Amino acid sequence: MSTHPPRFTVLAANAALISLAAVAPAQDVAIINAKILTVGPLGVIEKGTILVRAGKIAAVGADVVVPQGGNVIDAAGRVVTPGLIDAHSHTAIEDNVNECTNIVTAEVRVRDVLDPRDINIYRQLAGGVTAANVLHGSCNSIGGQNATIKMRWGAPSGEALVFQGAPPGIKFALGENPKRSSFSVGARRYPATRMGVEVSIRNAFLEAKAYKKEWDDYEAAMKAPAGKPGKSAGPIQSSRSDGGLGAGSGQRPPAPRRNLQMEALKEVLEGKRLVHAHSYRADEILMLINVANEMGFKIATFQHVLEGYKVASEIAKHGAGASTFSDWWAYKMEAYDAIPYNAAIMASHGVVVSLNSDSDELARRLYWEAAKTVRYGGVSEDEAFKMVTINPAKQLRIDKWAGSIEVGKDADLAIFKSHPFAPDARVEMTLVDGKVMFDRSKDIAARKGVAATLGGGQ
Amino acid sequence: MSRAHFLLSAAVLAALAPTAGAAETPLVITGARVVTVSGQILENASIVIQDGKITSVGTVLTAPAGARIIDGRGKTVYPGLFDGLTYLGLAEVTQGAPGTLDMNETGDINPHAKSWVALHPDSELLAVARAFGITTALAAPGSAMGGQSLIAGQSAVIRTTGDTPMALTVKAPIAMHMRYPSGAPVLDFSQGIPDLEPKTFEQRLQDRKKNQEKDLHRLHGLIEEARAYGAGLASGVALKVDLSMEALSLAATGKIPVIMRVNAETDIKGAIKFANENRLKLIIAGGAEAWRCVDDLKKSDVSVLVGVDQLPAREADPYDAAYANAAALYRGGVRFAIVTDNASNSRNLPFEAAMAHAFGLPKDAALRAITLSPAEILGVSATLGSIEVGKSATLIITNGDILDHRTSVSGVVIDGREMSLDNKHLRLYEKYKARP
Repeated sequence: MSTHPPRFTVLAANAALISLAAVAPAQDVAIINAKILTVGPLGVIEKGTILVRAGKIAAVGADVVVPQGGNVIDAAGRVVTPGLIDAHSHTAIEDNVNECTNIVTAEVRVRDVLDPRDINIYRQLAGGVTAANVLHGSCNSIGGQNATIKMRWGAPSGEALVFQGAPPGIKFALGENPKRSSFSVGARRYPATRMGVEVSIRNAFLEAKAYKKEWDDYEAAMKAPAGKPGKSAGPIQSSRSDGGLGAGSGQRPPAPRRNLQMEALKEVLEGKRLVHAHSYRADEILMLINVANEMGFKIATFQHVLEGYKVASEIAKHGAGASTFSDWWAYKMEAYDAIPYNAAIMASHGVVVSLNSDSDELARRLYWEAAKTVRYGGVSEDEAFKMVTINPAKQLRIDKWAGSIEVGKDADLAIFKSHPFAPDARVEMTLVDGKVMFDRSKDIAARKGVAATLGGGQ
Repeated sequence: MSRAHFLLSAAVLAALAPTAGAAETPLVITGARVVTVSGQILENASIVIQDGKITSVGTVLTAPAGARIIDGRGKTVYPGLFDGLTYLGLAEVTQGAPGTLDMNETGDINPHAKSWVALHPDSELLAVARAFGITTALAAPGSAMGGQSLIAGQSAVIRTTGDTPMALTVKAPIAMHMRYPSGAPVLDFSQGIPDLEPKTFEQRLQDRKKNQEKDLHRLHGLIEEARAYGAGLASGVALKVDLSMEALSLAATGKIPVIMRVNAETDIKGAIKFANENRLKLIIAGGAEAWRCVDDLKKSDVSVLVGVDQLPAREADPYDAAYANAAALYRGGVRFAIVTDNASNSRNLPFEAAMAHAFGLPKDAALRAITLSPAEILGVSATLGSIEVGKSATLIITNGDILDHRTSVSGVVIDGREMSLDNKHLRLYEKYKARP
């Protein structure tokens, strides 16, 4: 396979189109003759065109005029969909998933360890995935900060993978994983029960609230007109009686010391940071909702949420999304009541549901994970496909830019050989920001070279 | 060792456990699309089932007196799905509940471990697998989930219904399960993380090779010994009873095949060489790099129990190496079955076949790989694997293409008996779907 994904590709057998493409302005792409599942207001377009300009969708419809020039991809007989979005991934952070040594590690950032060369990014592009919520592991009650990324394989830096505009988030984890129930290696650490998990989260937020108050007080004092320090200048006062910056009647309080762990939780309290809470059992889901209500923050998504079907109304009432596996069960005690109807039941109760992978392998066939909800619980095909496109986009608050094919959105697209739910479905091409990042025909052509180098081949 | 002891073993080897409930009500499935797998697809056809067997298949049939009629219009009938490598019945919860696990015996040499004595008939996993079309499975020791024995024990073909382990068992023993020694050190994490000596890559390779040779030498010795033991048994001489040798002699003398878990190219080729040298009937399990060994597999007529939904073994491999593995075996004329090598996920068997289909395996071959092919490879195709007169009436009824994720299984018949589709998942669904 090519180490540098081809920027532009022409599938058309039409020689005229190819020659046009050769002289085209680099930034324009037209996908023509495609069946388009827009997952947006335009629904399904049986035969239509998508125009891409500067990485964005410039036009979509059955009667779009293709301008002269640009790269033309003839997708006759193929199905174009929005790029798939994986709301639970650990791709591109291999060996850096869990900072496992503490109960609360809100200060660590997935963003600092992203590897743009991870081959699994490419493999997932080959499954139509264009964006992912790369989460810290589930070792701690409150884990590290996530990074929502685009699958820009081979980008110059980890930073260049980051999905611009995506709000920051953080991983929480409940149940057996933070309890370290299945892990006998090394010394046990607190918490070892669901009681301890609850306490550890409650404690952290009590501390965060105090920290937030310190800062709120400080900032209020700083905003107060000079010479009239705010009433609540905060508990920390300068010990100096005179001199220095804070001297005199215009005294300003010293800034509280920044605490990176508390900063992240303060952002959660302020609604600026999304909580993605790994959870399994119904009791722990309710526990976190109660703690969140008490402490005054919102849970953006419950992740895995395998018993979400037992408390779907409560999840819906809180306003949390749910990102689950289609059908995995019985791999731990807390997954013993997992049922494949989970997505369908939560969706029917008004929860925004996505299907995720949590796996470099499963991520490559999310389209079929969605198809399973048709079998399990009779979800309509449209609603099912939303669970791997617009629904995860909503959960990650990136639906302004991704999750459906609409004018103005990013040109993150997958081109399937047939309907993504069909038993011969396969991704032929994937575009991110209008650039072809995966092209099966080129991949296959490149294999000969790899085989010659490595002495294998298929 | 007495002659009687030997005869008993031989009897176990040959026995097909009787199908439960001999005189069942005859069943007739009418007007269905019948995918026989062994022959043509029949449209608007009927199937007559008596005494647990298929007695006729065709378009114009007479229903026996008192038969229960199943309206098959708009439905498709397939042979029951056959998952040729599982730990169904041997495990309930794979992590955090070791008391529920019976697939991996401790110690290295366990030829006398028999899966069929440890089957749990009321495992929720069996009912779930059955409700979604898995009627037949290989219940095997030595799972990829933590199995480390060089010789893990013997497997059984089971039906996914029955009140006792005996009733679950269709045939046993089927095969001797081994792990091809990779030479990688077996690390014991039970006492904490082992302190590894610093070594160069070259040194580690050397160590691996040495370990591998040592293990292969050991295996060879055991097989030789078992062959001699088997010859002693056959000749009727009095032998000191050795359950391990007695069990291994079945494989050493070719009475049952050896299913060897092996994935890397060099190891697959090594396993073939080892099997040929030791006159073993080899079946490969796993076979991640079987696509690199097609000629060797074909030449030695080695079958492969292959998984599909896996990552490529190497970073530089084609992204679809595992998805296209089965198609490569098919093109090369290698016998293979698609397996889940799992238990709770066994119901995804048709979807693994679908992935193989999407990456080049013709649809009829994909379906065969989860029905008739495993039956053939595991030696039970006289009664299972296809819809044919005289075979066990073990089949499923669906509302469409079984390789399509959207399809539902609406009926399951095992040995002529209609199965309840009730299972834990359905019960919880019914309980909670309308909870306000």
